[in-house]
Amino acid sequence: MNIVSLLEQRRHGWEELERLCDEMQSRGRTRGKAPGATRFASLYRSACADLALAEAYQLPPATVEYLHRLVGRAHNQLYRSRNFSLDRSVDMLVRQAPRQIFADPCVHVCGILFFGLFWLSMLLGMSEERLPDFPAQVVGEAQLEQMESNFEAELDAGFDHYVMMASFYIRHNTGIGLQCFAYGILIIPCIFTLAYNAVALGTSFGYMARDSTTGGDNFFEFVTAHGPFELTAIVLSAAAGLRLGLGLISTTGLRRGDSLKVSAIRAIPVIAAASVLFFLAAITEGFLSPSPLPYTIKAMWAILSSGAMTFYFVVLGFPRAGIDAT
Amino acid sequence: MSQLAPLDTTIEVVTPENIAFKYQLAGPFRRLPAFLIDVLVKLAIILFAVFAVALLAGITGSQLIGVFGFAAINIGWFMVWWFYGVAMETWCNGRTLGKMAMRIRVVTVSGHPIGGVQAMLRNLVCVADLAPPLSLQFFFEDAPPVYLIPTGIAALIAMTCTRRMQRLGDLAAGTMVVIDERGWTLPVARVEDTRVPALASYIPPDYRVSPSLAKVLALYAERRMFLSPQRRRELAKNLAAGLGDRFEFREDLDPDLLLYALYWRTFLADARDQDVDLQPLAGYSPMLKDAHLVAAEPVADSSDASLVEVAVVMEPDRDLEASIPPESRP
Repeated sequence: MNIVSLLEQRRHGWEELERLCDEMQSRGRTRGKAPGATRFASLYRSACADLALAEAYQLPPATVEYLHRLVGRAHNQLYRSRNFSLDRSVDMLVRQAPRQIFADPCVHVCGILFFGLFWLSMLLGMSEERLPDFPAQVVGEAQLEQMESNFEAELDAGFDHYVMMASFYIRHNTGIGLQCFAYGILIIPCIFTLAYNAVALGTSFGYMARDSTTGGDNFFEFVTAHGPFELTAIVLSAAAGLRLGLGLISTTGLRRGDSLKVSAIRAIPVIAAASVLFFLAAITEGFLSPSPLPYTIKAMWAILSSGAMTFYFVVLGFPRAGIDAT
Repeated sequence: MSQLAPLDTTIEVVTPENIAFKYQLAGPFRRLPAFLIDVLVKLAIILFAVFAVALLAGITGSQLIGVFGFAAINIGWFMVWWFYGVAMETWCNGRTLGKMAMRIRVVTVSGHPIGGVQAMLRNLVCVADLAPPLSLQFFFEDAPPVYLIPTGIAALIAMTCTRRMQRLGDLAAGTMVVIDERGWTLPVARVEDTRVPALASYIPPDYRVSPSLAKVLALYAERRMFLSPQRRRELAKNLAAGLGDRFEFREDLDPDLLLYALYWRTFLADARDQDVDLQPLAGYSPMLKDAHLVAAEPVADSSDASLVEVAVVMEPDRDLEASIPPESRP
């Protein structure tokens, strides 16, 4: 039995199968459509047969291992998992996510923590005669001046300036949200990041609301439209992260790794909802917030968006008894 | 963790079809360079975009392009920085540029290709894996207390504690990083050494190599070129002793050569016996019963004969590098 000549015969088929695997991996189908698929199937069967006969052929172990890998790859291509389907995504966003958010204590904790600290720091930042130095101590003198100079100009005056700023804030705030989500698995950094940003944002808002601050009106005109979306999205992403971290701690009788995976499955709808809100916030912030439209429209948009979110979380999320109660 | 798991970095995945794949896991020393390459790639993309926009705005001289270009860069910077890994792993089947360079791949724990959701989870949690960050003050006394420098200790701890060397992001997404070796090795195709077929012709034709012995021989032949002659003998001695007795060979035959000959006979020899040119070996016999036929001392008038005598019979201090086929050296 000359193994080399045997392999020489067989390897062309194996190499072709590997090439077809590559094609299917990169494009989801073979180059030759139907004939290619048929060819793929027959090559796959012959590779399986070769693997089954490896003992009889007395193939060297390295070749057997290669065949294992090849058959494995081909198998993964043949029985592909559907990666993305619109129906399931819509179902996740419209049905699962609101209920998950409504029922998840992580969301409640993050929401209370963030908005509580936010309003508290805003009040503290506003009280000019009692705590004049509070914003400077929290945020820092340099950043306050930076903010004031940013919002000095009228919104319609320097349109380009506000477009640049909007893009910066999109990057900055979405980054905060994603950071909260990532740190959630370690719990404490997540809560710290969330609380710190709540205090910093709230203090900035409070400072800008003072009568003595220049540019306050422009500032509020700028943030009104996208504020509800963005802050809620930060809360949601932190909640999704916290869900992961809690899964690592309270395993409810599962093994730790499995518990983490179950928590991840529960966190995915929440982070998906947060992504949609971030996206909406970014669109608003890019087009509506820096635009010279009258303030009424922006305020209306803020009220509408808050109402829509309330409907989403409460009406769609309210637990229903029935088949799909989870 | 199961006590029976071998102390090894291979993971066996058994699919419902009863196909068992063996994956070799990638440890931190492959994954860290891959991560650093990815960071460099991200930075390069962002810098390139900045230069391109600056150049475009400079050439056209329009302020609008500059403004919208930089707004786009801000958004693009964010997208590249957070979602480069997600996009690459989703579309390139679990590989980023850095992973391609280090030949590793992300697969699910069950050995399937990863999906978009898993790629997103594992790449977003990456930030937590890089924790705890180190303050700049660690290096410069007068720097502000900014915690910017990632240390990656969380990921290292998680990797050492899990059986599949998963970091936190992998644990959440249910993925693992495996070494992705696409190539395969032909067995040693040609044996240059003429002594091997010569010796093989003395192995009794009725001797059938068992499958397990064939496996051992193939492994040995693949490995032997990385070993020094002394190591080869040391390894081959145990097997060759029994075989030598069975074939009634001389005691002082080189065990490495015997195994190599058996390998050649098992895997490479054609069914139809080709005539091997025995060259100077003609007339030499390794059989115990023929030991008296061969002169114990080298024949004086033939330098070849002395070579033969020395080459086949083992002598510890002699280097047998000559028996390695030159093209099979690593």
